[in-house]
Amino acid sequence: MINHLRQLVISSSVLFAVLVTVYPAHSAPLKVLHLSLSAAETGFDPVMTSDLNTAAIEEQLFEPLLTYDYLARPVKLIPRLAAQMPVISDQGKTWLFTLKKGVYFSPDPVFKGKLREVTAQDVVYTIMRFMDPKNRSPYKFLVDHKILGLNALADQARQTGHFNYNAKVEGLEVVGPYQLKIRLTGTDYNFGHAMAQPMFGIVAREVIEAYQGDTASHPVGTGPYMIGQWIRSASINLVKNPNYRDERWHFTSQDPQDQKIVQAMTGKRIPQIDQVDIQIVEEAQSAYLSFLKGELDVFGVPGQFAPNVLSGTELKPKLQQQGIQLQRLVDPAIAYYFINIEDPQLGGMALSRIALRRAILMSLNDEEMIRVIYKGQAFREAFPIPQGVEGHDANYQSLIHYNPQEANDLLDKMGYKKAKDGYRRQIDGGPLYVKYTTTLTSQDRDLEEIMKKSLDRIGIRFVSEKLKFPEIIRAERQCRVAMRLSAWIADYPDGDNFMQLWYGPHTHENNASCFQDAKWDKLYEKTLALPNSPERDQLYRQLARLLEINGVTKVSTSHIRNVLIQPWVVGYKAHPILPSTWAYIDLIPEGERH
Amino acid sequence: MWSFFIRRLLQMIPTLLGVILLVFFLFNWVGGDPAYILAGKLASAEDIANIRHQLGIDQPWYWQLWIFIQQIATGNFGDSWATHESVAHIFKTRLTPSLVLLIPMMIIETVTAVCLALLVAVFRRSMIDQSLMVVSTIMMSISLLVYIIVGQYLFASLLGWFPVKGWSDSLWRDLTYYAPLPIFLGLLVSIAPSLRLYRTFILDEINQDYVRTARAKGLSESRVLFKHVLKNAAIPILTNLLMGLPGLLTGAFLLERFFAIPGIGREIILAVERSDFPIIKAATVYVAIATMLANLLADLLYRYLDPRVNLK
Amino acid sequence: MTSQEESMISSFSPSLWALARKRLARDAIGLLSLLVVVFFILMSLGSYFGFLAKNWDQEVAINYAPPTWLATNQESVSALQAPIPPRSQIDLYGQTDPLAPLLDELEAHNPQDINSPPDQQKVNHLVFGADKWGRSVILKTIKGSETSILVGLVAALVATAIGTVLGALSGYFGGWVDDFLNWFYNVFTAIPYLLLIFAIAAVLNQKGVSTIILILGLTGWTGVYRLIRAEYLKHRHREYVLAAKAMGASHYRRMFIHILPNTLHVILVQLSINVVGFIKSEVILSFLGFGVPVEVVSWGSMLNEAQNELVLGIWWQLVAAGVAMALLVTAFSVLTDALRDALDPKVVA
Repeated sequence: MINHLRQLVISSSVLFAVLVTVYPAHSAPLKVLHLSLSAAETGFDPVMTSDLNTAAIEEQLFEPLLTYDYLARPVKLIPRLAAQMPVISDQGKTWLFTLKKGVYFSPDPVFKGKLREVTAQDVVYTIMRFMDPKNRSPYKFLVDHKILGLNALADQARQTGHFNYNAKVEGLEVVGPYQLKIRLTGTDYNFGHAMAQPMFGIVAREVIEAYQGDTASHPVGTGPYMIGQWIRSASINLVKNPNYRDERWHFTSQDPQDQKIVQAMTGKRIPQIDQVDIQIVEEAQSAYLSFLKGELDVFGVPGQFAPNVLSGTELKPKLQQQGIQLQRLVDPAIAYYFINIEDPQLGGMALSRIALRRAILMSLNDEEMIRVIYKGQAFREAFPIPQGVEGHDANYQSLIHYNPQEANDLLDKMGYKKAKDGYRRQIDGGPLYVKYTTTLTSQDRDLEEIMKKSLDRIGIRFVSEKLKFPEIIRAERQCRVAMRLSAWIADYPDGDNFMQLWYGPHTHENNASCFQDAKWDKLYEKTLALPNSPERDQLYRQLARLLEINGVTKVSTSHIRNVLIQPWVVGYKAHPILPSTWAYIDLIPEGERH
Repeated sequence: MWSFFIRRLLQMIPTLLGVILLVFFLFNWVGGDPAYILAGKLASAEDIANIRHQLGIDQPWYWQLWIFIQQIATGNFGDSWATHESVAHIFKTRLTPSLVLLIPMMIIETVTAVCLALLVAVFRRSMIDQSLMVVSTIMMSISLLVYIIVGQYLFASLLGWFPVKGWSDSLWRDLTYYAPLPIFLGLLVSIAPSLRLYRTFILDEINQDYVRTARAKGLSESRVLFKHVLKNAAIPILTNLLMGLPGLLTGAFLLERFFAIPGIGREIILAVERSDFPIIKAATVYVAIATMLANLLADLLYRYLDPRVNLK
Repeated sequence: MTSQEESMISSFSPSLWALARKRLARDAIGLLSLLVVVFFILMSLGSYFGFLAKNWDQEVAINYAPPTWLATNQESVSALQAPIPPRSQIDLYGQTDPLAPLLDELEAHNPQDINSPPDQQKVNHLVFGADKWGRSVILKTIKGSETSILVGLVAALVATAIGTVLGALSGYFGGWVDDFLNWFYNVFTAIPYLLLIFAIAAVLNQKGVSTIILILGLTGWTGVYRLIRAEYLKHRHREYVLAAKAMGASHYRRMFIHILPNTLHVILVQLSINVVGFIKSEVILSFLGFGVPVEVVSWGSMLNEAQNELVLGIWWQLVAAGVAMALLVTAFSVLTDALRDALDPKVVA
C-alpha cells in the first residue's frame, strides 16, 4: 500500500515536471489574435464545407483563384491565385485564367520535404472534386451543369462508382502550366464569384489521395496560415504558413475613413499576425463577457447585447474610453416570411386565398420585432435583394404594410367569419389556422411570440411546429412548411442568388414557398441572360412586386453587424462577403499595450 | 465469486441488445434525415438520393440494424456524418475534458459531503444539523442554469477572478485556470444531494446495534465514528459514487456549453441537432456499457466489503 | 439493492399513520414548509381557475420596465408606427394588383384603414418590473407557478404510477415477469438520460405541456420501480398475503388491495422526491428546446428568457422566477424529509 502511494507521488511529480517544462515562458512577443466562433467547425476539406464558420477558417488556409478587395465597397473581385483578372470572351462563356508563379503549398509529409508549386492542373482537379458524388459537396451548385463536359463525367462516376480524375474535360482546358481555359455551358457573368469562394481554394491531388477518407483533418493549402494545434469543436490555432509567398499589403481606397488603415498597413508583408487562436463558444453570454474581459480581439456583438454597447448608432462612452472601436455594416442577407402556395389552408391562387395571405402578412409588425427582439440592430428591408448585393433597390417601397385594421376588414369582406371561440374559419366554414415552423432554439421562441401576437390581431389561430433545422429543410423541400420566417445570406453578391428562391422549377429544391407561376418564371428567366444592368434591375423590381401582390412573400428585415475591435488591433475593416480577413490585419503584441 | 462475475457479464448481453433495439428504432424512425442538410443550399433530389445512399439510410431497416450490430462488435462506428471525423477519435478526445471536469468535482464533492455528513451526524438534531440541512436544501433548489448564468457573470466578468470560458490542451492549465469556476458551480448543486444522502447512510449505521455495543464497550465517540460507522457507511457511499459516474459523463452539458469545454455532453447535443446518427449510436452504446460495468463493479465491491452478503 | 432500500424493508402497521401524523405535527420546520407548499398550490389553483394572473399576457408596460422602486423619470418610449403610404403612390412596375379594387372600396368605407394603428398608453415601471414585451413579471411568475407545479405534480404521478405498477408486477409475480421487467429497467437506466430525453421528445413530437409531462414521466419511473419491487418481494410471502390467498383473493386483490397500502409510505416519499426533481428538470428541458409552448409561461421558460437579460442589467425576471422556484422546491424537499422521518418505522419517537 505504502509502496503504491510512493509510486503515485513520484509519477505525479514527474507528470507535473513534464507539464511545466512543456510550457516555458515565451521569449519573443508573439502576435496572437484571439477570436471566437459561435458554432463548431465541421472539418477542413473545402469541397465538403457547408457552414460560414468553417469557411472563415478555410479562407485563411486555402486560396481560390479570385477574391474580393479588402477595402472596396461595393465589393469588387480581384485576383488571388490568378495573376490578373480572367479574360472573358464569347459572351461570358469562355474564361481564361492565368495563375501566379511561385505559389507553394504549405509543408506536409506527403511532399517529402520538397516545395510543391501550384499549376493549372491543380485547378482542374479542385473543380472536378465538386462533381465527384463521393464528396457530396454542399456547394456543388456553383459549378453544377455549368462547365462543358463535367456533368457527363459525374454521371459516369455515379454508374461506375469511381470518378475518373484523369479524364479530359472539354470545359477545363489546360493551356499551359499556369494557364487554364474554362468553357461554360451558357452565358454566366457570375462565374467569377464562384471562383472567389473559399470552397474553391486550390488543393493538391496527391495530398487528397494520401489522406483519402480523412481529408477534413489534413488541410493543405496555399493560404497565409496553416493549422497548428486543433482541439475539435473547441479551439483552432492557426500558424503562419512558412511557404507563403512574399505578398504585400497593397489595397487602396478613396474613402477618407480608410486612410488610416492604408497608412498603417501598406507595404507590410502578409500576414503580420503570427497566430490566430479561435475558440468555439456557443453561448452568446460567454462570448460577450469574454470580449469585455479582453479575451477576444474582434467580436461581432449578438443583437441581444446591443443595448449594452451602443447608444443609438454610437459606441457607449465607457467602451470608447477603453479605446474599443465599433464598425457597423449591413449583412448581405434578408429575413423574409414566405407562405406555402401549396398549403391546403393558405395556398392557391384564388382571390380569397390571395387576400388571406396578404392579410396575414399585413398583421406582422416588423417595427416591433426590430425594436424588441433585434434591439434596433436591424431595419425594414422590403426588397428581396439586400444592400451590398448587385440588383438591390434602395428606393423600393413595399406594398404590404403593418395594418391589422385593414387586414381585419379585408378578411371580413372576403367572408372569413369569426366563430364563437373568436377565431376565423375558412369561407366554407372549414378549419383555418397558420402552422408556423421554427427551430427549437430560444431565439425562435421570440419569433413564435411575434407570430402568435400578429395572428391574434386578425383573429387567426396560431399553431406551432418546432423542428430541428435539418427537418425544416426537408419539410420545405416537400412543400410541407405552411409559413416560416426564413433567412438567406448571399453566397455571392449578385441578385440572382436571391431571386432564384422563388423560381418555379426550384420547387422541391430551395423554393420553399413552392410558388410556381408561369408569368413570374418567364420574367425571371429573362434576367438570367442579362449582366448586371438597369434593364435587369427593372425586371427584379417587377419580380419583387409580383411576390407581394400574390401574397407569397414579405421581405421583413436586413440585419446590422456590429463588430467591436480592441484598441490594439490595427487595420481592421469589416467585410460584408469575405468570411475572414485575418491575414490583412495587424496587432500590437500583448507586452507592448498600455 | 467467479461464477457470479461471469453470470453477471452474460446478463449484460440481453440488456445491451435492448439498448441497441430501443436506440435504433427511436432514432431511425424519428431522429431525422440529415441528408437534406448535408446536401447544401441548392441541392437537387438526385444529390439527396446520392447522400442517402452513401450514408446507408436508403437500406432496409434490418440491414441497417445488422450494420449497427457489426459496428458494436468491432467497436468501429465509422465517421461522423457532419464532420467526417472518426467516431472513435471524437470520443477519445472529448472524454478527457469531461473527466478533467468530473473527477475533481467528484473527489471534492465526496470528501466535502462525507465530512459534513459526519459532522451533522455527530450533532444530529442540533442547530448545526438543522441549519446545514436547510442551507443544503436551498442550495439544491436553485437551478444549475441560474448558478451558471449568475456565476459566470459575477465571478468571471464583474470580479474577474476566473476566465469567462475556454480550454487548452494542457492538463495543468485546464485544471488550474479553466476548470475551477465550472467545477465550483457544479459543486454548488451536487454537494447538497450527496450530503443529504450520506447523512442518511451514516445515521442508518449509527442506529445499528453494533454501534451501541461499541459504545457500551467504552470506545471513544470519535473511534466509534471513524472506525466503525464510517467503515460501514463507506459501502453505500462508494456504490452510490460508482453508479453515478456514467450518468455524470453526459450530465455536465450545461457547464460544457457555457464554458466552451469540448466534452462529451456538448458533443451529444451537437450530434442530436445535426442528426449525426453514428455519434448518437456510439454515445448510447458506450454509456450503456459503462453504466452496466459500473453497476457490476458496485455489486462486486458491495459483496466484497460486506461479508454478510453471500455471492450466489 | 442499497442499504437505503433495506431500511425501508421492515414491518409496518396501520397505526404508524397515526404516529406519523403526530410526529409531523411536532416538526415545526416541516409544518412551515407544508404551509409554503399549500400556499403555492393554492396560488397555482387560483391561476388555473382564472382568479389570479388572468391578464398576465397583457402588455401593460414599456419593454423591460424596471421595478417601481428603481423608477427614474424615464420618458416614455413612443411605439409610434411609421405612417402608411397611400397605395396610389406605390409604383406597381406595370403589374396589376387583383386586390386593388377591393382595398379601394374598403378604404373608402373605413377611412381609418389608411392611418397607422393608434399608439397604446403604457406605463414606465411596474411593481416587479416587466419582461421584454412589457408584461408584468409578477403575474408571469404566478402564471408560471401553475404550469411548473402542474408539470411537476402530474409528471410525478405518471412516473410513480408507472413505477408502482411495474414494480408491483415484478416483485409480486417474480419469475419471467420479473426477469422481463428487470431487463426493461436495465435497458432504460443504461441509456444516457440526455439521449433518452431527446429520443422520447422526438417520438412524441407534439409540442405542448403534455409532452413535457410525458417526457419526465416516462424517464423518471425507474427509481420508484426499484423500491416498489423490493417492497413486493418482501411482502408477497408475508402471512397476511398468504391468508388472503387462502381466502381466495385474486392476484389483483392481493397486489393492490392487500399489499399496496403497506407500501404507500415508500410511494409517497418517492412521489414528492419526483415532484421536486421534475420542477427542476423543466428548466433544463426548456434550455434544450422542449419547453412549454409559446402561449404558456413556466418558470423554466422564464429562466431561459432571463438568460441573456442579466448581462443587460435586467435581473428582475431571473430573480422572480429563481426565487419562486427555490422557495417551492426547498419547502417541498423539507416536507419530503419530514414525511420520510415521520413515516420511517425504524425511528423511535
